[in-house]
Amino acid sequence: MAEKPSQEYVFVSYKLPLPYRWAAGKYLSKLYKEMRDHKKLVTNRCPQCRQLIWPPEMVCGRCKVRAGDEWVELSDKGKVVGYTYMVVPLWDPHKGMRVPEEHPYATILLDDGMYVVSRLEEKDKSKLKVGMRVQAVWKEEGRGHGLDEDILYFRTIG
Amino acid sequence: MVGKVEETERFLFDGKVDIPHKYSAGKVGSRFLIEMRDNEKIFGMRCPTCKLVYVPPRSTCKYCFEQLSEWVELSDKGTLLTYAVAHQATPIQPVKPPITYGIVQLDGADTGFVHILGEVEPTQLKVGMRMKAVFKDKKERAASILDIKYFKPLK
Repeated sequence: MAEKPSQEYVFVSYKLPLPYRWAAGKYLSKLYKEMRDHKKLVTNRCPQCRQLIWPPEMVCGRCKVRAGDEWVELSDKGKVVGYTYMVVPLWDPHKGMRVPEEHPYATILLDDGMYVVSRLEEKDKSKLKVGMRVQAVWKEEGRGHGLDEDILYFRTIG
Repeated sequence: MVGKVEETERFLFDGKVDIPHKYSAGKVGSRFLIEMRDNEKIFGMRCPTCKLVYVPPRSTCKYCFEQLSEWVELSDKGTLLTYAVAHQATPIQPVKPPITYGIVQLDGADTGFVHILGEVEPTQLKVGMRMKAVFKDKKERAASILDIKYFKPLK
């Protein structure tokens, strides 16, 4: 069989920078500030339906009324309702790089009924279970650099 | 995070995303880039029907949709058709501003070739000037459009 004539092909690689900036606004900033300064999760309550809004927002998504400033402190304990083991970690858009090591990533239902998505401390896959009780472990140094990073991960509790 | 958070109690977040891209230059584009890298030569393609010479080359004529296969070696000299000076830095620019971009019609070509102009002050530029391609050193060339450093005025 005749050999197929081969040609060198050039591939053009480049990185397209996508700079952007967003403001967290008054209500989300209040949550981030409490997380940074007091290691607390807070949210606001709707004056009409009396339900907690999550994440804190200006308008209640159910009643479409102005939510106001009735702030409530939330428990940082909850249970795992679903998880995945990230072998190729997600891209972190605020750092421009991937999270360095593999880790379990879970949706956690807090005791006050809010869903948060965070890393888990437990890296043994056989010990990961839906329904297990977890509690937030807060970063000691350098909090306040953004978003949910003030919580290192959630630790399994009894 | 930027801004006066302590005064306003509002957080601002900066995104730092670089989207990685990779594409094949294709059969025709690859040969064009390889000829620049290996032989310091600029090649174009001639349409068999309308005789238009494209540089950079393309595999299909944009007027008659003819498949092109005739390679034409072009001069590294040409005529300046137009130019513009960019003072604003954007992350995708290959060199620091101010950048002078020009469109040069190489001798023997029917299309303009977009590239950077160098060794010239923007005030000295005139449409219709004769320009010449300046290649990078052989060891710096990497089969990229920037293997041509810039076009400079021919004296």
